[in-house]
This record gives sequence, C-alpha cells and structure tokens, in this order.
Amino acid sequence: MIVLLKIVDVCTRVEGHGTVKILVQNDEISSVDFEIGSNRGFESFLIGKKLNDVPKIVSRICGLCYASQTIASCKAIENMFEIAVPEQSILLRYLLLFGELIKSHTMHFFFQSLPDLFQIFEISQKPFSPYELIRYDSQLTTNVYELIKIGNEIERIFGGRSVHLITPIPGGLIYLPSRKNISIARKYFQRAIINLEWIIEKFIDVFSNHVPPKEYDLPNVMYLGLNNFDNFDRYRGTLKIKENERNSIEFAEKNYSSYFEKDINLRGIDFHFDKSKRFLVGPISRYKITENYEIDNINTYLEYFDKSWQNGVLFANFLRLLEMYFESQQGLKILDEPVLNRRIILPSLTSLKNSEGVGVIEAPRGMLLHHYYVDDNSLIKKAKIFIPTEINISIINDIITKFAQELYNKTGDINLVKKKIQTVIRAFDPCISCVAH
Amino acid sequence: MKPRIIIISLTSCSGCISTLISLDIFPQFLERTKIIHFPFILDVEKIEDCDIALVEGCISEDSEIGLLKEVRKHAKKVYALGTCAAYGGILSLSNSRNIKPISTYIEIDGIIPGCPPPSKLLGNILIRLIENKDTILSEKVLCSSCPLRGNMEENLDADIIKINPNPDEIVLGEENLDCFLKRGILCLGPITREGCESKCIKLGLPCEGCMGPVSKDFTSNIINFLSLVSLSEDLKNYEGIFYRFSKPKLRR
Ligand code: SF4
Ligand code: SF4
Repeated sequence: MIVLLKIVDVCTRVEGHGTVKILVQNDEISSVDFEIGSNRGFESFLIGKKLNDVPKIVSRICGLCYASQTIASCKAIENMFEIAVPEQSILLRYLLLFGELIKSHTMHFFFQSLPDLFQIFEISQKPFSPYELIRYDSQLTTNVYELIKIGNEIERIFGGRSVHLITPIPGGLIYLPSRKNISIARKYFQRAIINLEWIIEKFIDVFSNHVPPKEYDLPNVMYLGLNNFDNFDRYRGTLKIKENERNSIEFAEKNYSSYFEKDINLRGIDFHFDKSKRFLVGPISRYKITENYEIDNINTYLEYFDKSWQNGVLFANFLRLLEMYFESQQGLKILDEPVLNRRIILPSLTSLKNSEGVGVIEAPRGMLLHHYYVDDNSLIKKAKIFIPTEINISIINDIITKFAQELYNKTGDINLVKKKIQTVIRAFDPCISCVAH
Repeated sequence: MKPRIIIISLTSCSGCISTLISLDIFPQFLERTKIIHFPFILDVEKIEDCDIALVEGCISEDSEIGLLKEVRKHAKKVYALGTCAAYGGILSLSNSRNIKPISTYIEIDGIIPGCPPPSKLLGNILIRLIENKDTILSEKVLCSSCPLRGNMEENLDADIIKINPNPDEIVLGEENLDCFLKRGILCLGPITREGCESKCIKLGLPCEGCMGPVSKDFTSNIINFLSLVSLSEDLKNYEGIFYRFSKPKLRR
C-alpha cells in the first residue's frame, strides 16, 4: 500500500509568505517544493499605463528591492527613447542601489541568516530569538543598526524617501546639488566601511574555522549576472552566463531572449539550454562572474575561506558583507565626482524611438530585467518582469529535496527536516514579494 | 508589563515592515515590547493573545481573512500598517483581483497610512502605542501645509493636461513655487491626508495620493475636486489616477 503524506510548513524569517511542501510516500520523501502564493498581477495592470507612470508603480513590487525595480524600469523606458541619461543621474542611481543593498543585506544577515549560522555550526543549540540576537554582542548590534540607518539615510538623501523612492524618473534623477548632503553621505559611507570591517573580521573570527556541512554544497550551476568588462557593476555592463573558466557567453541585455524567456501567464523563467542545467543569480554568481572586487582587503578576507566554504550556499552570507563593503568604498568615490555639484536639466522624453525597451539591474538578490512594449499611443501594451528569486527556485528545490531525503533517511525526523531545509532557503535570501509580483 | 505585539503581513510588498525595522527607534521598540509573532524575524507561528497587532497589506485572497480574524480575536487593538492595509493600496490598480482594506472584515482601532508610512509618523505612533496612548492623525489635506500653497488660488479653475511634469520641466528649490494644478499638472494634494511633509512636492513632483484620503467619503471628495478642475480627454480616460491606492466604493 502506498501511503502519501503531504506536509506543508510555513517558512519563517524570510521576506513574504512562502511554504515548503514535502511529499512523503511509503516513508520516503519523494519531493520537496518551495512554494509561493499567486501573483499580484503587476504585469497585467501595467497594461494601458503611461510610461512615466510605470517606475513608481513597479517600485511597489517590493519594499526591499524598490530601488532596483524602479531603476530597471527607468532603464527600460530610456531604452525606448534612446536617450542618454546624464552622468550625474547615473552616479546618483548607483548611490541609491548601494543604500538599498546595505539595508537589504544587513537586515538579512542579522535577522535571517545569523541565527541559522549559529545553529548550523553548533554555536547555539536553538535559534536565537531577536531578543537573544540583539544581546549576543552589543557591538555587533550597534554596528548592524548603524548600517541599516546608513542605508536608509542614503536613500532618503538622494531618493527623497527611504522606501519607494521619489527621485528616479525616466530620463534621470531629480536632484538639487547640496554640499552639505554630500558631506553627510560621505560620513555615512566612511562609517559603513568601519562597521563592515568590524563585522567581516568578526565573521571570519567566528565562522572561518568551521567547515560547512556538505548538504549546503552547490551543485554544478550556470552563473548569470551583469558585469562590466569583468568588473563588479550592478548598473552598467553586459549579461554573462558562465559555467566554468572555459565556458561562458556574454550578451547585451536587449538580446536576452536568445537565452531565456518567460510566459507571463506562467510562473518561472525558461532557459534555452539543456533542461538539466540550473541557473543561479545573486551574490555567488556576481562573485563567480567577476572574481574581482578590485580592493586588496577583500582578497585578503576571501583567503580565510577555503573550497569547502566557497562551493556552498552559506558562502553567500559572507559575500553579502563583502558587497556592502565594496559598494561603500565605491560610494565614497562617487561622492567625490564634481559633476554632483552641478545643476543640470534632465533630458526631455518626447520622441519614442522604439516600441519596446529592456532594462536590467543587478538587484541585491540578482539579475532583474524589465521588458516593456508600447502601443501606438505610447501606452504599455505588454510588460515582462524577470525576478531573480524566480531563477533561483529550481536550484533551491534541487538542494532542499536532496537534503531532505538524506536527512529523513538518516533520522526519520520530519520536524528536523522542516527546520533544516528552511536554513537552505534562507541562505538564498529569497524575495517572495518579488516572485509574487 | 511590556505590551505584547503581533506584526503580520497579508498581500503586501513588505515595504511597511522594512520601514518599521529600519526605524531609528526599532531597537528601542524591541526593548520596550514583547514581540510574540512576527514571521519576518521570528520563528514562532502560533497566534496568541496580544495587546497590539500591526497588520501590513491588503486582503486579496479569501485565505487571508481567516488569519486576519484570528489576529483580531487575540488582539486588544489592531492597527492597519500602511496604505495597503488601510485603503487597499497599489493593487487597487488591478482589475482582476478583488482587493480590500482590512477594515472590510474586522473592526480596527486605527490606521498608520502612507506607502510606506513616513518614518517620523510611524516612529511617533509606535511610541504612543507602547505607552498605551491612542494614535493621532491629522484630519487636514496636504494642501493645507503645502510649500507651494502661497500660489494656490481658492477658486482655482485649472485645465489639467498631465499627471507628471516632463523631466526637463521639473523645477526645484527656490524656483519650485507654483502650484502644480495651476501649471496644468494633476496633484492629489487637495484630497490627500497631510503627514508626509510634502515629500514629492518638494522634489518637483505632484502628489499621487499615497497617504490616502482624509474623509471616509473619498468618492464625493473626488467629485468635488473634479468640479473645480477640468481634465483633458486623455486623462479622463486614463485609469488609476484617483483610485491608485484604493478602489472606488461601489454603490449598493
Ligand atoms: S502600503 Fe506601500 S509600502 Fe506598505 S505594503 Fe503596501 S505597497 Fe508596500
Ligand atoms: S506628496 Fe503625496 S504621494 Fe508624495 S509622499 Fe506625500 S502623500 Fe505620498
């Protein structure tokens, strides 16, 4: 007799509502699925909208990746007008992406991944509650809180508000030069660098001597991400798919559909490759694709982690710290650019050159791509939004299925399975709001 | 005794919750309360008795109604956190989904509007809630505190031709003096609650109404407003200007 048992568990400490569904058949786990509720329909209610109305609507797809959503949207629209965005606006957009990344990565690191790391490496027996977490190391808590505040303030200064930014619009970024703001922002980035060095060293101290369990290893995957002549860049560049040192392809964002596509009525993204291939986006892909942050300390920091770390999903937690560190340094460089002190007039958006446009951004969780089509009245006719977490779901499911099967065979403890696979899911920092766009 | 708190999300973007966590006072908020349910940062799934529940997001699926009612049953006070929970929010643009504010299904004790709520407003309200005081919201419209107000005429009779200035027409600082309506740009200031410190307006953009309306009878406010201004044909046919953050109340 076949006994089929469906176990559904709610994922906690992730952004949004996700569940894991475990199917047990004859006392063996047959499948595990990370599932997300139905879409909110952004792609359909954008139809009929005026182009300059779109970026602030799509911002509401996600309260963590709002800047990436808005800016990817602006880029897609600018692509239709074929206008050159002023350098000043581009630099300010970088700052907004940096602020967003600092806030998003810090929140994830502290509230979502750190309690898991303590447990995985048996530093604590049960997961820390937020209260235990803030008391664990007061310096860490202070540093974390300062970072969140810094991310917030960068957004407020240059974006007009800390979530759902006001200043990025198709054509550029609304900005009134202010030396005072520049100097405040400079202090924030300097502070961020100090705090991050402390946190990175602490991370190395606490975790680098431990060996991550095998279950967290990444299988062979294809890394996908934006890169700028092999440099780390989340705004400008070309897309790259890399399998290994010998095998990679690079292409312009507007040609993406030769490599992947989506049907907006269905969930998921189709890659035009062998079906067994899995694609990964996010910090690990960015690292594998660029392998170079151009900052000496970072390379020194990386040396603390051997292959056992570098091949696993848990390494993303460390890479997130490095990304914040890198971008804080980039932020300081941008703030020194004289063009930020000039008053400029943004280009007018009058004549539409193309009836479709593509915009891409490396969001905190990976490559985000918007593709819009307009009708004869320049209103949106069709919109496709490619969400990073949607790409990662197949690989998440592969890992958690294998993990669950092995653990269940060994222990027969379904509650343990439920708990453990969530730690894998959280290491990917899934953005459920975005997936349910 | 520290107040016991529940924070849940329904259909949302998590922007209100991320705003809350990134408030300056969030560590203080943690210290002064006992959070018993907050899936974003806490593993506990059970809903137990609490003093204050904050609900982010609108109702877009029947399955959410049960959770909402469960929270109401266990909470002394329930507040709608953000414009989605308070009025339905951005998904009001959707024709295919039936979006409802939480007050459609449960009685609520107050709202904290904004998409997301302005940090200062949210911080002040949270402190008041911890101290067991009621929330207070301004009952005035955004125009009453608008920096461009000096130039707004009482009997304005404006021809509105667009919803946004072109990028090259955006003016800031000392040049940003003229009321948008006078410039032919639709601004929802006259029908939107104040409390955001006129963020968009100071940055050269008109208000799109994210704080929601002041009065319950939003539809008649819109009708009044439309009797003052004339909209171009193009805008008359454009959906989702007035009902961007809430659906019109249907006549029964
Ligand atoms: S009110 Fe705005 S910020 Fe809050 S959940 Fe809704 S869309 Fe997000
Ligand atoms: S000006 Fe209007 S749209 Fe802008 S933040 Fe204020 S209430 Fe929201």
